[in-house]
Amino acid sequence: MIDFLAAAIRIATPLLLAALGGILSERAGVFAVGLEGMMLMGAFASIVGAWAAHSALAGVLLALVGGATIGVVVAIVTVRFRADNMVTGLTANILAAGLTSYLLRALAGGGRPLAIHLTPLPPWPIPKLDQIPVVGPLLFSLPPLTYLAIVGCVGLEAFLLRTRAGLTLRATGENPEAVFASGAEPMRVRVLAVVACGAVAGLGGAVLSLQQVGTFTDGMTGGRGYLALASLIVARWNPIGAALACLAFGAAEAFELRLQGFGVPVSSYIVQMAPYVVALAVLAGLGRSSRMPASIGQPLQWD
Amino acid sequence: MPAFLEMRGIVRRFGGVTANDGVDLDLNEGEILGLLGENGSGKSTLMKVLFGMIAPDAGRIVFRGRPLSGHRPSDAMAAGIAMIHQHFMLIEAMSVVENVMLGWPAAGRILKRAEMAQRVREASHRFGLDLDPDAMVADLPLGRRQRVEILKAVLREAHLLILDEPTSNLAPSEVADLLTILRRLRSEGKGIVFITHKLPEVLEVCDRVVVLRAARVSGGAPIGEVTKAQLAEMMVGRDVTVPHAERSPTKGLVRLRVDRLEGPGLGPLSFEVRGGEILGVAGVDGNGQIELAETLAGLRRPRAGAVTLDGHDITHAAVGARTKAGVAYMPADRSSTALVRSLSIAENLMLRDSHEPPCAQGMFLSVGELQDKARRLMKEYDIRGQGPKTPAARLSGGNQQKIVVARELDRRPAVLIAHQAAWGLDPGATRFVLERVLALREDGAAILYFSSELEEVLEVADRVAVMANRGFAGVTMREGADIGQIGLWMSGRAG
Amino acid sequence: MTDSAPRAQSSRLAYVWPLRLRLADSMAGRVAAAAALSVVASALLVALSGHNPFAAFAAMLKGALGSPHQVGFALNRATPYLLAGSGVALCFRAGVINIGAEGQIALGGVGAAALALHFPASLSVLAAVAALAGGALFGALWAALATAIHLGRRVHEVLTTLLLNFVALLLVQQTLAGPLGQFGAGFLQSPELPRAAWLWKVPEFGAHAGFPIALVAAATLSLTVWRTPFGFSLRVAGSSRRAAAYAGFSAPAITWSVMLIAGALAGLAGAVEVLGVQHRLIEGFSLGFGFKAVTVALLGALEPLAVVPAALFVGMLEAGAQSMQRQIGVPSALVIVIEGITMLFVLAATVRRA
Repeated sequence: MIDFLAAAIRIATPLLLAALGGILSERAGVFAVGLEGMMLMGAFASIVGAWAAHSALAGVLLALVGGATIGVVVAIVTVRFRADNMVTGLTANILAAGLTSYLLRALAGGGRPLAIHLTPLPPWPIPKLDQIPVVGPLLFSLPPLTYLAIVGCVGLEAFLLRTRAGLTLRATGENPEAVFASGAEPMRVRVLAVVACGAVAGLGGAVLSLQQVGTFTDGMTGGRGYLALASLIVARWNPIGAALACLAFGAAEAFELRLQGFGVPVSSYIVQMAPYVVALAVLAGLGRSSRMPASIGQPLQWD
Repeated sequence: MPAFLEMRGIVRRFGGVTANDGVDLDLNEGEILGLLGENGSGKSTLMKVLFGMIAPDAGRIVFRGRPLSGHRPSDAMAAGIAMIHQHFMLIEAMSVVENVMLGWPAAGRILKRAEMAQRVREASHRFGLDLDPDAMVADLPLGRRQRVEILKAVLREAHLLILDEPTSNLAPSEVADLLTILRRLRSEGKGIVFITHKLPEVLEVCDRVVVLRAARVSGGAPIGEVTKAQLAEMMVGRDVTVPHAERSPTKGLVRLRVDRLEGPGLGPLSFEVRGGEILGVAGVDGNGQIELAETLAGLRRPRAGAVTLDGHDITHAAVGARTKAGVAYMPADRSSTALVRSLSIAENLMLRDSHEPPCAQGMFLSVGELQDKARRLMKEYDIRGQGPKTPAARLSGGNQQKIVVARELDRRPAVLIAHQAAWGLDPGATRFVLERVLALREDGAAILYFSSELEEVLEVADRVAVMANRGFAGVTMREGADIGQIGLWMSGRAG
Repeated sequence: MTDSAPRAQSSRLAYVWPLRLRLADSMAGRVAAAAALSVVASALLVALSGHNPFAAFAAMLKGALGSPHQVGFALNRATPYLLAGSGVALCFRAGVINIGAEGQIALGGVGAAALALHFPASLSVLAAVAALAGGALFGALWAALATAIHLGRRVHEVLTTLLLNFVALLLVQQTLAGPLGQFGAGFLQSPELPRAAWLWKVPEFGAHAGFPIALVAAATLSLTVWRTPFGFSLRVAGSSRRAAAYAGFSAPAITWSVMLIAGALAGLAGAVEVLGVQHRLIEGFSLGFGFKAVTVALLGALEPLAVVPAALFVGMLEAGAQSMQRQIGVPSALVIVIEGITMLFVLAATVRRA
């Protein structure tokens, strides 16, 4: 049972970070379709950074930079130039996939990819707390980026609801014109939100590569960025809900893996479909009382 | 003692149009000034200049002893001027207190919710606003939402409030509540500029009134010293004469019958138009004109009532069916409804009947026939452009409207609904449009001619209806029409 | 009616290069500028990795066009982009943002494989046609599902088409693990399809019949957009919803039409891949086609036939990628980078005001 929950947390962590980034972007009014590319870039940058500088911290920082770079690209094309959010995000994902594969090989001199094998990040047990029966090893003996994800989740919730910057960000996603009339600049808010989204999602990618596996392979995010997007829709765009949704999807996947081990014929594919189907159901069911930010996807009509 | 507000010699032009032509305005503390005027009189422009949304071409403003120049809305707000727009700048998905905190540094980096909520309650109590800080704006009726805007102004310690047509969307009881709140604000020493075209409200709550007409101040006085009739005349103009054009009398049968038509922002409304008759609809914009025009054209669904054309019920007919039955519509929004600017002249000319001959034969468009038709119409209606394939965006406003006129009139319609048909056109183009409309009248069509320019309406109409408060405040024959009475109808409830 | 002056909209490009004012103002000019910028950016990337950009591009071109067989390969690569891209371009033209091609292509492959595997042997002469039709049908059905949710439950079509992509991809895996799968194979794939269902190939070129079909499709769509009343209604709807309502066009009817057409074309693209290239249904055969087709379609939103050069460009790039890697040592992934950069520049350059 403990193993099962631990597996669920492990699967959920990168998703959660990406979803948190996505929430930043979407609540400011920009669809976060580029999460996949941002994660991938972060995964790549963290491995290369850690390898080159012999420091996991360097890897983490570079993951933030890498993800933010994709964020900058998306921000310029869709916020400043007002191209469609979705198409821009998809294109950014293509770019990130190509760029990471290319650089991985170019850094090795072309042809074969750079073979980096680092030790995955070990857990950091919190003394005393990790001795608590049951809960201890589960919650208080986690690798560093997972702690960061939990802190980030709570932090984002506080940021959105308790700070003026968070208020302005939420308002930009609802009614940019009102934000403009109140003296702030909606374009600036959206650009910053998208770049921040990239950085946080990049961190999610770092969880995959630096923390869990220790290497980078082409396309290793495998669609998790889109899964994170489905998660944040199911969570109705709020951070605590996203944590629960990601955990639920992680648990479903962990559960299904276990069932397969027991020979129960539950199709892995049907289980994997669940998040997207649920997201669609949430969108369809909400209909008029949708909590989707009112101005999401709409380009800004003025400077 | 320094004057509270002094505006001197404000001039502002937009292209060839002068919106403000040397306007002076004064306001004292603890005073409510009514700013009256029709559409296009310049009152909105003047207030946007005051608030800093537009820079004046000439003139100066002094507020509380300090000059205001080259300023933006944030500067005006910092100086203590607040503007309550006609369209509220609120976030519906957020609460009252959150809307108040938006863009307000005093709310703190970490939001001081409890403190702000308390201040909202206090101000609400003090000015009779009756607002709950935690109520969702989406749940509030329009009248209450307006009060949130007022609350924002009051909390940011505005000394001067500008209200732009504040009662246009309010129910009568909400209007009364608003006026009470304004009196409270006045007693606290605030200065208020109340922009409106509705006389009864001005007379009820204002201390002084200034009337703008055609970019200039046409009159002004303390409330006690002027009558309604005098104000109406100042708004509408003493020198408007009813043209005595010779024309054949209306003899036709009733072609368009509207019976208790009702919808959001409209009605209930009943009237008839005969064949060979032009019913002109005058009135200030925003009183239900677009609702009526679009409902008759098929772009909006009525809630109740009936519309009959030559005896056939078209109340719920689709746009295509109405066009076939002979309804022609010239929308006020030329740039994105009546025309598609990226399409060519020929394509715009076939916008409404592209699936029928001669434009189409079976599955395909008959390009040759299209071009011929376009050339014929360009000649007949004097549309100046390089050729049928020229994109409509390249044409002048006058020629663009000629496309609309050509398209709608070429079908020999039974009914024409014309909304602001001559708006923004030079005199030549205006003359052209009016002539064509009159020619259609000779043909026996029933015409409904909406315009916010009274002179234009008087020139074409056989009968004149005045639209106010979602219905016709009054209808009169053009012959011997009393301008004063029309002015009164335009400015609100009669009498 | 507002008294304030309309906002002036200046093209940023025009601000930076005043001399190019006229060029920057025309759509074709802007696309050309975007393409040029991306070539420069890619050349820089190659140079940064220590290789000669000219040699790299030359090797790529030779790899794509060097021999008849290679040209055929390039055409085959271009075909799914052309087919799916035309359909998506039609949607863009009508103001409908359909990004579901990825899933529609995948299901098209399923439809084609299912029909090919179960087609009665006695009618084998019709097998290929039937399988293609099956693919188109499956794609259209998937698009219909997205449209039904969009119109019926008022969910943005962008979200329904996007999310359904992943459901579709998983469905393909499910069918390969089940009814259509080949037991004993190392990974998910179907048994090889009967020869009768294979697409006819031009002998020397190795190009299959898919490319001409795609060309015909693109030409038909172009004809439709410019020469039929239906196409006219699309152009109006894509420019202004209010004008479309004024003109009497039904917005739901337009949405259904373009989505079904786009779904069918995307399904056809999947069918063509399965019947013409792999001759069996393989897991992940369609990965990336749909999303790239969406970006290729951007150009086609302006003029459907413009998808042809765009698809050829992408096809050529991808066909030449391996050669470039083998001969010069520049990783083939550079090609994807070039695609991404080009598309982003084109995106920025071709934004139209609503």
